[in-house]
Amino acid sequence: MGLLTDPGMEGGWLSNVLLAHEKILSVLLYCVGAIWFLALAHNSMNHETYFSENALLPGLVHGEFMGEAKANRFLQELNKETEKYPSTMPHAWLQAKMTQLGLDTYTHNFTLHYPMAANKSFTGNNVYGILRAVRGSSSESIVLSAPYRAPRSPHLGNAPAIALMLALAHFFSEQLYWAKDIIFLVTEHEQLGMEAWLQSYHGSLPQSPPVLDFGKLIARAGPIQAAVNLEIPESFVSHVDIRYEGLNGQLPNLDLVNLLHRLCHRESVEHTVRNRADHRKPDTASGWLHQLHTLLSSIATQATGVPSGNHGLFHRYGISAVTVSGERVGRAGGRRATLLHLGRVLEGTCRSLNNLLERFHQSFFFYLLPATSRYISIGVYMPAFGAMGSCLLLGALSLWCSSCLRLQLLQAEQPASDQPDEKESSETQSDEKLTETREQTNAAIPDTSSTPVTDSGTQSLVSLACVALVCHSAGAVASWWPTVASRTGAVVALHADDSVALGSLALALVLLRLPSALTRSITGCSWQVVKCAVQLELAVIVFAGSLLNFSLALIVTAVYAPVVIAVAPTSSRLVRWLKCLLLLAIHPLTLTATFASVDAVLNFPNEPPLALLMRCVTVSKRALMYSVVDSYVYGNWVYPAACWCLLPVWLLLWHVQLSAPLPPITKP
Amino acid sequence: MRGMVLLYAVAALLRLWLMNSATLATAISSRVEVSTPLNSWLRVKEGVYLQSQGVAVYSGGVFHESPITLFLGGIFIRSWGWWVQVVFITCDLLTAFLLSRAAMAYANKLLGEQHTEAPRYAPDSRPLLLSAASLAGATKDVAAAYLLCPYTVLSCTALTTTTLHNLVLASLLLAMLKGRAVLFGALVALATYQAVYPVVLLVPGLIALYQYHADPYHHNCASAPPLPDSSKEVRSGALRPALQDHCVRILCRSLVSFVVTAALLLLVSAEIAGGWDFLEATYGFILSAPDLTPNIGLFWYFFTEMFEHFRLFFLAVFQLNAVIFQSIYPCHAPTHVTHPPMSRTYPCHAPFHVTHPPMSRTYPFLRQSFLVGCMLVASSVLGPIMYNQWIFSGAANANFYFAVTLAFNTAQIFLVTDLLFGHVKRQHLLYNGSSMTIEGKPARLTLE
Repeated sequence: MGLLTDPGMEGGWLSNVLLAHEKILSVLLYCVGAIWFLALAHNSMNHETYFSENALLPGLVHGEFMGEAKANRFLQELNKETEKYPSTMPHAWLQAKMTQLGLDTYTHNFTLHYPMAANKSFTGNNVYGILRAVRGSSSESIVLSAPYRAPRSPHLGNAPAIALMLALAHFFSEQLYWAKDIIFLVTEHEQLGMEAWLQSYHGSLPQSPPVLDFGKLIARAGPIQAAVNLEIPESFVSHVDIRYEGLNGQLPNLDLVNLLHRLCHRESVEHTVRNRADHRKPDTASGWLHQLHTLLSSIATQATGVPSGNHGLFHRYGISAVTVSGERVGRAGGRRATLLHLGRVLEGTCRSLNNLLERFHQSFFFYLLPATSRYISIGVYMPAFGAMGSCLLLGALSLWCSSCLRLQLLQAEQPASDQPDEKESSETQSDEKLTETREQTNAAIPDTSSTPVTDSGTQSLVSLACVALVCHSAGAVASWWPTVASRTGAVVALHADDSVALGSLALALVLLRLPSALTRSITGCSWQVVKCAVQLELAVIVFAGSLLNFSLALIVTAVYAPVVIAVAPTSSRLVRWLKCLLLLAIHPLTLTATFASVDAVLNFPNEPPLALLMRCVTVSKRALMYSVVDSYVYGNWVYPAACWCLLPVWLLLWHVQLSAPLPPITKP
Repeated sequence: MRGMVLLYAVAALLRLWLMNSATLATAISSRVEVSTPLNSWLRVKEGVYLQSQGVAVYSGGVFHESPITLFLGGIFIRSWGWWVQVVFITCDLLTAFLLSRAAMAYANKLLGEQHTEAPRYAPDSRPLLLSAASLAGATKDVAAAYLLCPYTVLSCTALTTTTLHNLVLASLLLAMLKGRAVLFGALVALATYQAVYPVVLLVPGLIALYQYHADPYHHNCASAPPLPDSSKEVRSGALRPALQDHCVRILCRSLVSFVVTAALLLLVSAEIAGGWDFLEATYGFILSAPDLTPNIGLFWYFFTEMFEHFRLFFLAVFQLNAVIFQSIYPCHAPTHVTHPPMSRTYPCHAPFHVTHPPMSRTYPFLRQSFLVGCMLVASSVLGPIMYNQWIFSGAANANFYFAVTLAFNTAQIFLVTDLLFGHVKRQHLLYNGSSMTIEGKPARLTLE
């Protein structure tokens, strides 16, 4: 393929096809990828789950846990104790109980210095007890944890989970087969306590400036192999939901998720994924829709990067963990699971984990679950995602080819000059398939050239670098902006939520003016070059992102790719306005607000429109605020990624849309 | 001129800022892509400390730098402290300056070659010819490319000794292009002393020196016997015996300088290290690849699972591969010394960019630049992500990371091959003209 270096051929067939049908090919690829992905929810496209790790031996022994009465007694005592402390954890009682059960019991203090306001801090207390293994050397451990929820907390209570945990501790302490230590952990302040405990357990380096002062642990129990978090609001539950989405979309090993599902099935406990039971006839169309709904719901959860339970914070340390969440809403007359059943499930889980010879590593870490016993592995969903994402690459390639062609035509238009200074222009290059081993060409490069055209290569590279630098610096500013905004807002007594939202909105509006400032000061860079670069950047971002948080990358690709295909400067005013509107609709800020509002509408379908609108505004503000605070406290990447990657890309696209269209060139 | 000063200032400030931003600097210097066992500053500090405690530095398997680096590093660390950063930045700026000078010398050489060869070129090859103006622009680009290349910036930020290696390589290149035979020999010895592999530069370098001194274009400046013959005669191979003798003498001088410098360096090293143990810990370490920590090269993956009795054989094969890759390109076009790290034992990103002299004349003939560019960017971004997923999250595994390193190395091979093809093709078109027909029909140029 001579592609662009031989004028005799006007490029090879590949580049001709690419240039002629770029739009159609891109749209086709996108649609094929999207349909393929949706089809993955059907059982003929995904696979039945299985155990990779042989050492787990799930359900090989009969459950012996009989401590329901004991658990209920603990529950009564705990409820009585809770009444005395409406807003704090009764850690003295917990400590006393754990010590009575023969555990090595310790407390752990932590302090949060709220990052969005000066001199505002919260303190908390965790209690944990270690059951030392009879047959081991405290070199490995398993964690059973439960968050403590005070009566004043907005969440459902979790006392039954703690009671069950204590009953299990009592039962476990009488068994002789433990080869790993078991840590029973009760955390305060939801994920904050868990984060502090984990950071302290693993001896993280303190942050500067310190946001979460995670204190010190007195005792440890070796590397944690796996963890199970309990959230059981009632002593009778209709079904158990196994939650697995972790911080930044990280997932636990599929074997652990399977283990819980398998043991629930064995103990005849109803079990669900994303609170959705399996469809009776999964092979039918309605079964496919049902599974698709489950799949999309878990994608939405994973994309936020917020853990769906306390388990999600373990993943960062390479520890597989899940939350077992008892739910009380269910079909009337359905079978109800008691603490006995749940205790049996947990007993089986701990005994299986006790058998583990090494950390979970056999099964998948990258998967999607459309049903409790079906999975879509990375090798199955990546081709579909690749098809969607590759329309970005295709667009970049065709832009590259067309700008090369344009350069050639420009050169051909210019009168032949005597000065033979044919020189480099990074544009006049070509691409070729990797497999092409033979280099073929027809003739040489174009005959004539002159300085303005030949210089344009370097010049456009330099101005591209300048434009990109400005846009990325804007992203950097945006990442620090919320702190500045909230501190400024505090001066005028504005609530942090409001000041961050207003500040971000103001910044976004100012940045809308960036392209006109850029075009005035930086010239010599055609929109094609910028668009080619931005498409490549977006492609790199989504493909790299798909390995970190697949769902987020999928959503970004699904939303951005069609707009990127459409973006191009036009002379028609109406089309330009439409495209600008389209771009504004995918601004990271708009996207955040849209997703938060959709969530609110789905959760509160019966509210009157005005109240719903107000709720949407509040929820959007809060979503922005939470993403900022989460990035400081837990290291959630969504906000930094939006600032450092997505916002610059968006600004560059905006710049492309507002730049002048290129004058047409007639072929000589 | 003002642009260049600005460029150097920006590059220096960028490096200084990165070095002094606490979190970034530690993060960068702990990356396997930047710091290897061979070049990490942390290991130099460790070595200096061990020596000050009277521990045998080379017996512990921690320190693999040469004894002279140990000596100089000790001086810097003990008594100069903060100036270490300044020294490294200066080295990098100096390297860029030397590279742009080398590019200039190379441009002059190309112009001279074009001048003497012009009569033999095909009549329609005029657009391919070079002009002084465009070459001057290209020499500036060389400095800019070196100074702003993220790989070199990161490498300098992490204070890796590769920065010093690059300085030696750049001066070596300049000496070669300026025809300084003795200096060239000494510098090759120094570079070899630092990292073994540059020894292969001796062959292409000697060829280039021979060409330089045999070329009549340089004779007004060189102290050679006057050459009355016309240049064509010289080109056709009929070198006058006097000139030939002169060239051979120069090559011998260069070789002797190489040997003497190498011997001196080794003796001084033995004196500093107090014995010959350092040979095992430095050159033995490079050649036998005992450290299999993952890096961007290919050795670690293969040798992790190698059976012990095959190890020596495959080690030889891999090292031969390294030597071939590093010498084939410079041998073909002696003044294009590339220094790709791909097949080394402990490669890092930095040397990759060090020596690409003005290649720009082959740009129009490159066919895979888009592909190579995308591959390099993608593998540079994916590499750290895969490493993180594998080592810290435990979610991915070695194969993921190795796939990325493989892509990175493939991209480099593509780049080198592409440059070579571009060069060959340009030469062909210069002499044979750009319109190709066989018996009146359009023909294709096929390289097999």
